[in-house]
Amino acid sequence: MNIVACVKQVPDTEALIKVKADGSGIEEGGIKWVMNPYDEFGVEEALKLKEKFGGEVTIVSVGPARALETIRTALAMGAEKGIHISDPSLDNADAYNTAKALATAIKGLSPDIIFCGMRAIDDDAGQVGSVLAELLDLPSVTVVTKLEVEGTTVKATKAIEGAQVTYETSLPCLITAAKGLNEPRYASLPGIMKAKKKPVDVKDAAALGITVEPKAKVVKMTPPPERAPGKKIDGADPAEKAAKLVKLLREEAKVI
Amino acid sequence: MALNGGHGFGPGYEGREVFWNAHSYEAVLFFFTAIALVIFAYGIYRRWRMWKALGLPENRTDKAGERIKSLLVNGLLQARTFRESYAGIFHGLIFFGFIILIFGAAIDATQFHFGLPFFHGSFYLWFSLVMEIFGLAVLAGVILAVIRRYVWKPDLLGYRGKPDNRPDDAIVLLLIALIIVTGFIIEALRLHVNVNVDGFTWEHWSFAGYLLSKTLAGVDIGTTMTLHKIMWWGHAALALAFIAYIPYSRLLHIITTPANHYLLSLEPTGTLKPIEDFENAESFGVGRLEEFTWKQIFDSDACTRCGRCQDGCPAYLSGKPLSPKKMIQDIKEHWEDRAAKILAAKALAKKSGGEPEIPEPDKMLVGEVIDLHELWACTNCMYCMENCPALIEHVPKIVGMRQYKVLMEADFSPELQLTYRNMENNSNPWGIGAHLRGEWAKELGIKTLAENPDVEYLFYVGCAGSLDDQGKKVSTAFAKILQAAGVSFGILGEEEGCCGDSAMRGGNEYLYQTQAQMNIEVMNGYGVKKIICTCPHGYNALKKDYPHFGGNYEVYHHTEIIAKLIAEGKITLKKPLEGVTTYHDSCFLGRYNGIYDQPRNILKSVPGTRLVEMRSNHRKSFCCGAGGARMWMEEDIGERINDMRTDQAIEAGAATIAVGCPFCLTMMADGIKDRGKEESMKSMDIAEIVWRSMDLEKATTAEEAKEE
Ligand code: SF4
Ligand code: SF4
Repeated sequence: MNIVACVKQVPDTEALIKVKADGSGIEEGGIKWVMNPYDEFGVEEALKLKEKFGGEVTIVSVGPARALETIRTALAMGAEKGIHISDPSLDNADAYNTAKALATAIKGLSPDIIFCGMRAIDDDAGQVGSVLAELLDLPSVTVVTKLEVEGTTVKATKAIEGAQVTYETSLPCLITAAKGLNEPRYASLPGIMKAKKKPVDVKDAAALGITVEPKAKVVKMTPPPERAPGKKIDGADPAEKAAKLVKLLREEAKVI
Repeated sequence: MALNGGHGFGPGYEGREVFWNAHSYEAVLFFFTAIALVIFAYGIYRRWRMWKALGLPENRTDKAGERIKSLLVNGLLQARTFRESYAGIFHGLIFFGFIILIFGAAIDATQFHFGLPFFHGSFYLWFSLVMEIFGLAVLAGVILAVIRRYVWKPDLLGYRGKPDNRPDDAIVLLLIALIIVTGFIIEALRLHVNVNVDGFTWEHWSFAGYLLSKTLAGVDIGTTMTLHKIMWWGHAALALAFIAYIPYSRLLHIITTPANHYLLSLEPTGTLKPIEDFENAESFGVGRLEEFTWKQIFDSDACTRCGRCQDGCPAYLSGKPLSPKKMIQDIKEHWEDRAAKILAAKALAKKSGGEPEIPEPDKMLVGEVIDLHELWACTNCMYCMENCPALIEHVPKIVGMRQYKVLMEADFSPELQLTYRNMENNSNPWGIGAHLRGEWAKELGIKTLAENPDVEYLFYVGCAGSLDDQGKKVSTAFAKILQAAGVSFGILGEEEGCCGDSAMRGGNEYLYQTQAQMNIEVMNGYGVKKIICTCPHGYNALKKDYPHFGGNYEVYHHTEIIAKLIAEGKITLKKPLEGVTTYHDSCFLGRYNGIYDQPRNILKSVPGTRLVEMRSNHRKSFCCGAGGARMWMEEDIGERINDMRTDQAIEAGAATIAVGCPFCLTMMADGIKDRGKEESMKSMDIAEIVWRSMDLEKATTAEEAKEE
């Protein structure tokens, strides 16, 4: 089985995010980059299918040079090879252009199944998977929590409000992975060591023969408003404190 | 008949004839002795080949001086064996009794062949007396051992309430007893003749044999002589059987245990040998028996099944499927099986001239011989190693096998996987943003080394001290103590990373080394020389394991520093500590680093402290349950270890459990909660107790605290 898993490198959920002064993006210094957790579910499912049916898992990622590290992480988990699409014009590209780059790189691989994360935790767009399926003219099921493949029949289950739906489609197809699909494995040390030597094909936009024409662009990024610090009410005795509190609630907070 | 009928002995020239009534047997005796020795030598040779059959190389023969010292202290003087009174005494009686008796037999033999100019008169009398005493000592030792093993049946000799008495145990005890008893009977028979016929008037010095000979009154001399001959042969046969039996029985420990004393690890307690070449190594950790070093395998043959390791193992006592004794015995059985098969395969190959075809083991070492629950139950508390009289090293074996599961198979508990991912991404087990590490110190005005590298001490705060709510309180208290005492120190803040102890002890050596290297790079970058840790895990790792990677520092635990500040009068303790206090020894402070006194001395200098000890303390202290990466794993088998420790504190009547470790602090707090004692008990770090007693918290804050 020829399997592709798309991954994106994102800041760790706990990382301190600072918006650049000009609002064009975030400060990247000091950030710990990790694989988008939803993509990890996709990689794990890809590896499981490979273990069951044989074949190969190719990891594809669009991102700057540092994204190679994330591809290696997936290779350490057990994937065979990687394609790293790296081009300045694609840094912070919109979902359509990212999907276009991915589609161009993946087309030649003629995969049986493609995995993406349901969304990336950085920009939360959640579009790349669907757009990619569209561009490759493949059926897709999104936000999948359970997957069964038998022959060329694919049964994919997703949770909807208060229930579960199971879709049936056939290979080739695209699946976007949600939490619950599986428990991503911890890479073994020989896996990590071998990953360093696995082939990763680096391609820029020219090599793929694409030009990036944004359909959407980030106009401005602003940090969430800072939360005002709490106020401590001083007073000689509880009565005085209570009086002060009432006054503040009325005059400053205007809630009573 | 002349009183000294030809033998020449008499008052003033007391003595006896060696080999009396048995002169002519010497040649025959030699013959049998030779047979016994051959059987003995063959047994040792067979064992030797098995010891050499498998295992990785390891140098345990350097620094002979230190090794001989261990051999004398632990082997000849039985230092560790004597740590247990009852077992120490009975073993000591048998051991020293035997040594003296063998020495005596050697004197006898020398007298017989060469004649000793001093073997008469008062030397002889004292010699006789000493032999009697030690003969009885051995007998007493055997009786005490029998009572313990077969009547009293302590759990440490068995497993989970079931005795583990093997025929061999009984045979050995019986053999020893019979050797001594027949010895006394021969003596009594000889004395019956010597006293009554030859008129030896001094033989009451051989008091036991002498008293026994009184029971022979009326037996005629001829019968006595015959009985003596029979008994003499019986005694000789038993003694030779004993020698021949050594390599085939638990008596082998006479050889393997002292050998293990000699082969001891000369590394500081608990140091784990780092994996050196990640890039080129083919496999990591111990998945198969032959991936242990020869010494790790040999250990199992030095085990006497004494059970002392099991007797205080928190995993065993809390009902988890781990007993360090059983683990060592299981490894031993597996080794006996594997070694025999490997040797047979090699012998076959030698005959046919081909390569030996080593059969695959019937059972996998990790997962089958050693069950996975067993493997992961260990808290690395070091109780077993600290109390094993044979100096067997359990913990490195456990960590080695964990390394195999984690590094090779990546097959381990999901909770621990999460912990390791958190450590990878944010360099702390909780996965809290790494940039938040220095937050606690901001309002205290503590500078980082980036702001001011010119300080005497680096306060390495650690993950709990930086990020855990209770831990932060301890860091704050300790920092305030340092500030009050005018000690110059700084922290690393954001630049500090996890010490890696939980990764190392949980088998993730790779992750551990990345953490260690990051820290070392930062610390060396600032030219750090002295470090204080409030967490014993960091303390132990920085002190003993970081030197492997070029991190060489003087590392102190905060209790060492506080004790020093008190002794130097730099801080004064005023406010009394109410109620009864008990101190819980953290394993990584106590057993790992021998810090038992400083925390106790600090507590004693707090006015009004009433310090009591829990049932298990010092060397035999009971773990809180958090070591060996257990802090991050579910504890779903058996009783909770921290609750059991809390029960000991309750039993001791303590209101405060003083600790010197943030993990212990959490574990004890949870234990107090589980036991519903929050109203009457609390756990506090020594630093918090000291800071409170210094009574320097600003009045307003104190007042507020009261009102809260
Ligand atoms: S280190 Fe502690 S928990 Fe582990 S086997 Fe030894 S005594 Fe038991
Ligand atoms: S390992 Fe040591 S303490 Fe444990 S049973 Fe064997 S000899 Fe005794």
